[in-house]
Amino acid sequence: MTDELLVVRAQLGERGALAELVSRWRLPVWTYVRRMLDAERADDVAQEVWLAVVRGLPRLREPARFAPWLFTIARRSVTDRLRGEYADRPEALAEADALVEDPVEALADRARLLDALAALPPAEREILVLFYLEDLPVADCAQICGVPVGTVKSRLNRARRLLRVHLERTAGDE
Amino acid sequence: MSDQPRLSAQEIVERLGTAVSRRARIRAVTALVAGLSGAALVSLLWLTEPEPLPGRTRLAFALLTAICLAWAGYGGWLLTRKVVLFAADRVVAAWIALSASTATTVLLAVIAAGRGTGLWPVLAVGAVFAAVSLLLLARAHRERARLLRRRAELTT
Repeated sequence: MTDELLVVRAQLGERGALAELVSRWRLPVWTYVRRMLDAERADDVAQEVWLAVVRGLPRLREPARFAPWLFTIARRSVTDRLRGEYADRPEALAEADALVEDPVEALADRARLLDALAALPPAEREILVLFYLEDLPVADCAQICGVPVGTVKSRLNRARRLLRVHLERTAGDE
Repeated sequence: MSDQPRLSAQEIVERLGTAVSRRARIRAVTALVAGLSGAALVSLLWLTEPEPLPGRTRLAFALLTAICLAWAGYGGWLLTRKVVLFAADRVVAAWIALSASTATTVLLAVIAAGRGTGLWPVLAVGAVFAAVSLLLLARAHRERARLLRRRAELTT
């Protein structure tokens, strides 16, 4: 059953469809929230996200676009918690831009990747999570983040470079 | 560091609580409709009293009206901020609103006619409430029909 059909059935008031929707998207939502926040807050914020989703569901005009809508809500909840971090983003991005090489896709160790992700600034971490972990297209990432497609691409490039720098640095330390 | 969600899908749905609770929806609609109808009834009785009322009686009418309006406010707050009405719920809620508007208007019109005063204002206000309820009902039916059509398209 497609997401669109599940959403339409949930909008009609079918409780089972709502439960199925939560079941299907519980992990992706939690993964996004968890990558953006610490473990203590992740469950509470994910629950907040679901409450906002249910409240907004009757007004969702394009059920086929459920995923970007869902992550837009998740992003809003996360941003509320991260406002402080977004306000004072590190200025070290330019230095990191100088270093390129060795594709990130070659990375095998998932735990190392997650650690490295956690070390990135929120905006870059978020775009990597949405694009790679949630497997969303660039256009959807742009809609969720409220920025143009070009900005998503440049943010992805910068995020990949930062990630690579971080991974190289940790590999050098070992 | 926990890398698995603590809550299962079922627990998440259960924790949505008031937002998806049928009892909360019934409570919200009942409070709103009963509050508005009660306020209209008490106000009419007060305004159509033929003789000037003593101070305590006026105070009692005012308090009763305020209590009814407070219940209506509570119901409205629940409906707009706490409870989620899906398409099927909206149809039911609109029918309840239409039935309550009609019943209240008829009751108030009978009282006003019996007292020989205030019939036209009652009919005018009743007509406005009934018209708004009809509008809500038509919109709720249209939206539900659209969703049912879409569900049928996606199912086949």
